[in-house]
Amino acid sequence: MSVKLPDDYFALFNLQPVFDVNLTDLATRYRALQRDVHPDRFANCSDAERRHAVQRAAEVNDAFQTLKDPLRRARYLLALKGIETDDETDTVMDPEFLMRQMDLREELEQVRTQQGRDRANALDHLRRDLVSQFDDKMNTFRNAFIDDLARARVVVRELQFLRKFLDEIGCALEDT
Amino acid sequence: MPITLTEVAAERVQRFLKGRGKGEGLRLGVRSTGCSGKAYVLEFVDQANPEDLVFESQGVRVFVDPKSLVYLDGTELDYGKEGLNEGFRFNNPNVKGQCGCGESFSV
Amino acid sequence: MALLQISEPGRSDVPHERRLAAGIDLGTTNSLIATVRSGIAETLPDAAGNHLLPSVVRYFPDRPPVVGIEAIEAAVVDPLNTIASVKRLMGRGIADIQRIGNRLPYEFDEGDTGVPRIRTSGGVRTPVEVSADILRVLKDRAEAALGGLLTGVVITVPAYFDDAQRQATKDAARLAGLKVFRLLNEPTAAAVAYGLDRKTESVFVVYDLGGGTFDVSVLRLTQGVFEVMATAGDSALGGDDMDATIARWLLEGRAGSVDPGPGEVRGLLRVARQARERLTLEEAVEIRLEGTGVTRTLTRHELNTLIDPLIERTLGPCRRVLRDAGLVLPQIAEVVVVGGATRMPRVREKVAEFFGRPPLTDIDPDRVVAIGAALQADVLAGNKPDAEMLLLDVIPLSLGIEMMGGLVERLIPRNSTIPVAKAQEFTTFKDGQVAMAIHVVQGERELASDCRSLARFELRGIPPLPAGAGRVRVTFQVDADGLLSVSARELTTGIESQVVVKPSYGLTDDEIERMLRESLEFAHEDVAARTLREQQVAADRLLQAVAAALVADLDLLVPGERETIEHAMGALTQARAQTDPEAIRKAIAVLDRVTQGFAARRMDAGVRRAVAGRHVEEFEP
Repeated sequence: MSVKLPDDYFALFNLQPVFDVNLTDLATRYRALQRDVHPDRFANCSDAERRHAVQRAAEVNDAFQTLKDPLRRARYLLALKGIETDDETDTVMDPEFLMRQMDLREELEQVRTQQGRDRANALDHLRRDLVSQFDDKMNTFRNAFIDDLARARVVVRELQFLRKFLDEIGCALEDT
Repeated sequence: MPITLTEVAAERVQRFLKGRGKGEGLRLGVRSTGCSGKAYVLEFVDQANPEDLVFESQGVRVFVDPKSLVYLDGTELDYGKEGLNEGFRFNNPNVKGQCGCGESFSV
Repeated sequence: MALLQISEPGRSDVPHERRLAAGIDLGTTNSLIATVRSGIAETLPDAAGNHLLPSVVRYFPDRPPVVGIEAIEAAVVDPLNTIASVKRLMGRGIADIQRIGNRLPYEFDEGDTGVPRIRTSGGVRTPVEVSADILRVLKDRAEAALGGLLTGVVITVPAYFDDAQRQATKDAARLAGLKVFRLLNEPTAAAVAYGLDRKTESVFVVYDLGGGTFDVSVLRLTQGVFEVMATAGDSALGGDDMDATIARWLLEGRAGSVDPGPGEVRGLLRVARQARERLTLEEAVEIRLEGTGVTRTLTRHELNTLIDPLIERTLGPCRRVLRDAGLVLPQIAEVVVVGGATRMPRVREKVAEFFGRPPLTDIDPDRVVAIGAALQADVLAGNKPDAEMLLLDVIPLSLGIEMMGGLVERLIPRNSTIPVAKAQEFTTFKDGQVAMAIHVVQGERELASDCRSLARFELRGIPPLPAGAGRVRVTFQVDADGLLSVSARELTTGIESQVVVKPSYGLTDDEIERMLRESLEFAHEDVAARTLREQQVAADRLLQAVAAALVADLDLLVPGERETIEHAMGALTQARAQTDPEAIRKAIAVLDRVTQGFAARRMDAGVRRAVAGRHVEEFEP
């Protein structure tokens, strides 16, 4: 019958569950909390305490990673309101957005066939374009989360698309 | 009688203080514990207590509380090696017996 | 009388309860042990004054092995029974070893778990056992120097070590009778040794070119917390490779081209290393090849030409860590060099050129890691209660599971801060399915066959349900040492599944138990007495911890719990006073079990206090 930590990651860091988070402040809170729960603090203690410390420190790390990243934070905020965003079967999306994604994907395939400096430059150009799209969408989410949760959910799904695409560009850049 | 340090001990203390980056000097003391009654205290001093008695030997400031002084009067602190082990040694004229491990003593 | 050390203010330890702790650098070429005495961390020498213990073990049919310089000297005459650079073999499989095998003159036996076993005249030895033999010598050295038993140690590992290699290191410590407070990444230890933890916020690079491994890491320090931001490297690149390159150069110049025997290879490698070391200070050296009468001159310029390609191979990972950390060169505050090979002027030159600033070199690059480990061991032993230092490490390689079709599903990406846990749900695909197999791999590749296989977990005891109805939630947890553990629960019924681990390149618990028994039979000292002392130290540590917890958090106990705990403490105290180590071990296990709930509540209460504490701060101006 052990007492649980706050289930809510915002509560764990003693923050309000809102989209805008001061990252410096979050990092400070994270480190203070980690100082209290990290297994190193319990090196001299019983194995039971050490095992619990590992679990707690893992939770604190997960909480920090979740709130630190704007997209993960957005998904988490929706989840707190009972809105799931990782339902693979739900594929209803804005056709215009999908068209644009297909165009971008074609562009990436084309860039992949290029060589050397041209390829790196083209990839970088594409990446910048995507990053600015991502930032715009993040702003859209910020506003939608206040008064239009259905819209916020759609925006998060679009953001996931963009994030995945950015990861692919990152991989392609590494191969350059 | 004052409390003194041998030259070797003083040199070590200076080195340790330097390595530590801070500290006013060295505290010598005696506490009740262990199998035959008393044990030595050997600590760095960051802040002296008002009742501390202060000695200076070989350029090192030595702090002793009045209660401990009774047991430490005339003690010389030395530094030496025993096999691979090295450290400080209390040459204390007041000691009558010590336990097998040598970390505690009686007066 | 006993020799005393100076304690921190107010921390004069109660006699007989001083916590002796040490840091160990278990290196490919050399190993060291260091400790903090009177506030200063220093490596400990052997009776002859040598700090470095060559990581070389020689086995005999009729007597205990010898470790160190004496063993090195035998490497040429008795190569098959003299094991060097065993760190390269830790956590590796037979296939890995065959890949690097042409440089290794040993004879291998394949065991049933894929762990390589080296045939020696002293019997078949695994790399874990060889490492344990090295650790035992260091342990004895420290305990002689400190005049007591070690309560715990911090052992360093390359940041790049995967789970199997870390586990093998921990197993070796267990075999040597050492309690491991923490496996610490070598670069983190180096940064601590340089006191970089006392600096203000900044970013450091640690470039570690040792005997057998290369690592480069980017560390960030913020308010006393070290974070490894990124790490990369090559676990098969180091000074040994330079020696091999020089040895090949020597062979090319040799008359006649007969393949050298194992003994001759050793001899060549030795003169190669000596030449390389001398060229740190000299411009040219003469090398005489024994038995041939041939003398060759190697200049520093020629040496540079030979080793430049190897140094070049270190720069790729340097670029990668900067990219992974999302940093550009001007953001780097300091560069620290570690490892004997960084004594070479050419290496320092190339490092300075790449990072645009000369590296820190004040501390002996051979000792810097052990010194940092000793500082951390001192903190973990509880000898510095108000130390602010907290070292957060990351997992160096992604962890994933093999899916249908051999593809990897990534569960925990590389460079995630540890400890970390991730839960994943699996459904049964057959009616009445009661078991499930999960293959965990580590690496960045898409195909499971291209990654390193870590272990196969079998989940048993799933209740029989229709296909698809059995849903098993599997939790993968990586602890602060970077070691994986797995637990599983069936969600419909809540039944805990039994997890059976088959490590791909590791030893099973049973094997380690057996090795422990064998090593004890072989030991030359009074084993029973030693085992007893070790169990007594463990008992004291636990009794102290529990007693302190009871005083601090009496209010967190549930009715009847105090009696149960005190009863277990009484039993342990009683067992401790007797002479049966096994009875003490059992009593420790009982006390550990009955304090589990209490331990969990204490930690949660601690967290709530911490949260509450910050709440107050927040409203202060």
